[in-house]
Amino acid sequence: MAGNAASPEDKPASQVRISLSTKQPDVSLAQNPGPILVNTNFRRYALSTLVNTLREAEKPTPFEFLINGTFLRTSLEEYLNATGISAETLLAVEYVKAIIPPLYVASYEHDDWVSSIDVISASSAESNSTSATPITPGQERILSGSYDGLLRMWNMSSQVLATSPSSSGGGHTAPVKAVKVADPSLVVSSSLDRTIRVWRYTEDSAEYSASLQPKIELYGHKASIDSLAVHRPSNRILSASADHSVGLWSTRKSDAPQAPPSLIPSLSSQGAKRRKVGPATSTPQRGALALMKSHNAPVSDTMFAPNDSTVAYSTSWDHTLKTWDLTSSTCVDTRSTSHPLFSLTALSSLNLLAAGTSARHITLIDPRASATTVSAMTLRGHMNAVVSLATDPQSSYGLVSASHDGTCRVWDVRSSRSDKEGRVGDSTYVIERESTKGQARKAAGEGTKVFGVCWDADVGIVSAGEDKRVQINQGKGIVGDQKAQ
Amino acid sequence: MAPESSSKKRKAITRDSPEADEVALSDGSADEFGEALHNGFESHRDEENDEEDADDSEDELEDGSDEEALIASDEELNSDEVPSEDEKGIFNGSLEQDGASESENEETFGRPTRQYEVVKDANGNDRYVYNEVDTGYASDDSDAPVTTNTVGNIDVEKFYGAYPHIGYDINGKKIARPAKGEALDALLDSIDIPKGWTGLTDPATGKPLEISQEELEVLRRIQMNEVPEEGYDPYPATIEYFTRKTEQMPLSAAPEPKRRFVPSKHETKRVMKIVRAIREGRIMPYKPPSEEDEEDTSVKRYDIWANEAPRPDHPMNIPAPKLPPPGYEESYHPPPEYLPDQNEKRAWEDADDEDKDKDFLPTNHESLRKVPGYERFVKEKFERCLDLYLAPRVRRSKLNIDPESLLPKLPSPEDLRPFPTTTATIFRGHEGRVRSLAVSPSGTWLVSGGDDGTVQIWELVTGRQIWSAKLSKDEAVNVVRWRPGTDATVLSAAAGEHLYLIAPPISDPETEAHSRTIIDAGFGYAATKTSNGSSATTTKPTKDPPTPWTRPTPRLLEAGVLATFPLLRTIKSLSWHRRGDYLATVSPAAQSRAVAIHTLSKHLTQHPFRRLRGTGGLPQSAHFHPTKPIFFVATQRTIRSYDLAKQELLQIIQPGSRWIAGFDVHPAAGNNLIVGGYDRRLLWHDLELSTRPYKTLRYHNKAIRAVRFHRASGQVPLFVDASDDGTVQVFHGKVVDDAMENASIVPLKVLRGHGVRDGLGVLDVDWHPREPWCVSAGADGTCRLWM
Repeated sequence: MAGNAASPEDKPASQVRISLSTKQPDVSLAQNPGPILVNTNFRRYALSTLVNTLREAEKPTPFEFLINGTFLRTSLEEYLNATGISAETLLAVEYVKAIIPPLYVASYEHDDWVSSIDVISASSAESNSTSATPITPGQERILSGSYDGLLRMWNMSSQVLATSPSSSGGGHTAPVKAVKVADPSLVVSSSLDRTIRVWRYTEDSAEYSASLQPKIELYGHKASIDSLAVHRPSNRILSASADHSVGLWSTRKSDAPQAPPSLIPSLSSQGAKRRKVGPATSTPQRGALALMKSHNAPVSDTMFAPNDSTVAYSTSWDHTLKTWDLTSSTCVDTRSTSHPLFSLTALSSLNLLAAGTSARHITLIDPRASATTVSAMTLRGHMNAVVSLATDPQSSYGLVSASHDGTCRVWDVRSSRSDKEGRVGDSTYVIERESTKGQARKAAGEGTKVFGVCWDADVGIVSAGEDKRVQINQGKGIVGDQKAQ
Repeated sequence: MAPESSSKKRKAITRDSPEADEVALSDGSADEFGEALHNGFESHRDEENDEEDADDSEDELEDGSDEEALIASDEELNSDEVPSEDEKGIFNGSLEQDGASESENEETFGRPTRQYEVVKDANGNDRYVYNEVDTGYASDDSDAPVTTNTVGNIDVEKFYGAYPHIGYDINGKKIARPAKGEALDALLDSIDIPKGWTGLTDPATGKPLEISQEELEVLRRIQMNEVPEEGYDPYPATIEYFTRKTEQMPLSAAPEPKRRFVPSKHETKRVMKIVRAIREGRIMPYKPPSEEDEEDTSVKRYDIWANEAPRPDHPMNIPAPKLPPPGYEESYHPPPEYLPDQNEKRAWEDADDEDKDKDFLPTNHESLRKVPGYERFVKEKFERCLDLYLAPRVRRSKLNIDPESLLPKLPSPEDLRPFPTTTATIFRGHEGRVRSLAVSPSGTWLVSGGDDGTVQIWELVTGRQIWSAKLSKDEAVNVVRWRPGTDATVLSAAAGEHLYLIAPPISDPETEAHSRTIIDAGFGYAATKTSNGSSATTTKPTKDPPTPWTRPTPRLLEAGVLATFPLLRTIKSLSWHRRGDYLATVSPAAQSRAVAIHTLSKHLTQHPFRRLRGTGGLPQSAHFHPTKPIFFVATQRTIRSYDLAKQELLQIIQPGSRWIAGFDVHPAAGNNLIVGGYDRRLLWHDLELSTRPYKTLRYHNKAIRAVRFHRASGQVPLFVDASDDGTVQVFHGKVVDDAMENASIVPLKVLRGHGVRDGLGVLDVDWHPREPWCVSAGADGTCRLWM
């Protein structure tokens, strides 16, 4: 076997039989090599070389190796010693494509804190299948929402293509809290001014100018709207608001009901009269399809179920994760944890939801009714509240989290260990803010809090924070090129 | 016989005399004479032979002493008569008798035995001419010049030029003029210059003066400024008479060596005397036992453990207290693990006797032979005797309970999670101290007021400042409080003497409108009361109340400050009734109007206490009871509770603090109070138990500034205090409904982070309405959220 030939035979190192397997079909071996005898002093790199040799692929791929559900971080011998497994047994080793260390690419500077971020790229457009024109590489756009109340559309060479109009021009009158790209021409944002605004994004062919035009203003919430979710095929928007409710909205004027007049600032309170009211904009004002009230604390995050757009999940400060049936606008299930939940994302293939908590960790929750335990796993490592989560677009096990401690952390849920509090995972990589590189970390992440994170297959990990920057980290191909040499 | 003996003596001493003299005397020839003179001169010069000569003379002296003894025996033999005429004969006879010995002498010295010559004098009588006496110490008077010619220092040629002699020697003999050689001889002499020739003539002897090699050497050394003596070493090797080592002490303290001891015979005698006396029984070494010491047979003594046999345990049977069996460490050669190391040894030695856990130190001896005497033996036996003597005769059942075990077990802080542990957010924006802060009833906003006169509203989790208003240019905002209830967002703030009611533009239009209505309702009430008809918002301040509610400046009105109300003095404390219609303010310096209760809906102000008489100082703060119509007023030393319905004093609570800084009423069980004092004490009062504190907690180094129960104390049983030492301390304080059970108070966490400025640390604290998060306002200009 080729693997044996590669291994140094001169050393009297002990050997162990391993059987290689993978669940990723694109890197699977052409034929099952059966048990392979390898030296126990092999580490990840040696095993990765072995697999690449067996695959006979022209370009080597870095692999990680999972044995009994944990990643091999030491040599095989140390692993066997640590776990007490005899070297006589056949070791079932699963190999997966490694998550490449996300290296710093660029920072986009803003005038104010950047609260949220989203990406338009070929891969993100795939999920929202209505887009007519495919996006070619290099045409990715980054949408950021800032505390100065503006949305900005960036291209990959850190130029602002379009900025949303200011409050007088029909824009948000308070800091933007969430932005989402519905499709490359439709953008949704929510703000501390209790509105959701739908924007039409147009770009001329020369790509030098673009515009964000307000399309609809959505009224209904009575407090800051902290999170948004968009399902383009059904034209639905989900919003999570600090008024304890989850809102369901439509992106189409025709679908939406009229806006409640009492909540429109210019029409209601006397105090608003004194405030500067913008010129009578022609932006249509609409109301919510449904406002689902069941939480009894601010709702922090919400999302559509990955496979079913009629089901939504929401997390709240009241420690619960609720499952909503959107057709009837009722809460069908409530999972209570022991901490306020600040963020939510789904690991769809594992049927798990990851929720970031105020208690500095991430809880993996199985939302299915059959699940017996609330928390399937805990990811520990952050030093402040975890306020944003995003999944790895290329792996169903990867996860990135943004925290107020000023870091983003990349996790792989397969890498875990058992603790007295159940299964606990550790982060694979830590992404620091580039703006404070080299400085001592301040207490409570002061000045470097990360508010939003987005992980795109083409662009990489994009994070936004209190340092008024959008930071892009990408791991693609960097290590792979080194391995190829 | 005296001359004889003397002669003998002289004989013995003068052996040394040169034969030449003798010859010279016998011959009397000039040549011989000159030679003798020369010899004498030579002997004078031969200083290097001095030592040799001395040795010789010593030997001779010894021989002489033999001779003396011999002569002494002769004396005994011969009679002591005066020598007769035939004295000579006798003398001769004796001489002949002594011939053997004399011949012996002759043999030994090889010298003539006769010391005199018998010559005929002018009368024909015999005349004894004695030989030269050599004193034997000629070498001694080396200093005196040897004068062979006794005529003195005269011109010899002048006075003796005509005579054949040139003077007289010491014996009166003529010193003959040395023969003068002929011219030829002189020539020969000049040709063959003898060694030491000087060409001079010794005036004393008339002979040519010759200087020997040795004398030349001496002369040369003198010329060279050297020591004339030959072989003199001016720099001899130093002989170290003392050690070159520097001694610390000049005197040695070494003990006298035994070899120097001389036993005293006198003492021996005295000791022997005592020994003999003891042996003979004259001295008794020990006192004979007195009568007291003798056994008193009348007292019977029992050894209760004499025949002890093991018996089953019974209350009436008390076995002898047993010594514990010896352990390994009591061995003379214990295993090394039982041996103490240096530190243990030192600790044992330094410890007091009472503190030592064992009364000996395990020591290792190579063999049993090397085990020294046990110095504690007597003491140990004595203690053992005491043990036996003092052993209890009666078995007493004693309550053996550890008092600590009676106390209820405090739960571990780990089990009482969640509680705030770390800083989650830092709110920066105030210039100067932040005096007060409060979390909104919705739990999303934080309001803070500080020395810069501003009130600022922050997003709680992110720490973003949302709204700010400057209430006063020069006065600090002392208190900010939200109106309870989520239906409206109404904020009350006190800056200086003014109380402000604010509806900040942070909520939705409906709520904001409601808030404005709530604040403005009083204007309407006042308007309808006085000048009916005019609209609520445009009402001018009425004359009726002494201190009217007014609109603030347009700038503040624009910002959302809707009403202001001046009091007499600086407002230090502000507290809302739970329904949100009553507001109590305390301005300590305002005498009888210190405590004021304001009715928001009517814009009415009451001063319920005409005089706070004998209440222990100025009022400090006031709170409403969370459920009952009871009002608490804290003065400097006491807290009084008043029934608002019956308008009477209920209770005077005496925390015992010298100066109360603040207090809080338990939101669920209103009968529990926490009081923080400037004297660093935190006191928990259970009003059902006593007016005295149930528990006193002293954990701070500096004054406590604020105390606060969690608003949802039913679910989150926490309270917190803020102190000038820059720390915030979190406590668990659970109150149970069961009257039999007291509140359990557990200190949980010290939250550090705030800086101390000018002796001020944390000035205010508040809780999130639902979560176990607390916020603190620091004198360092920051607020902190703790999660």
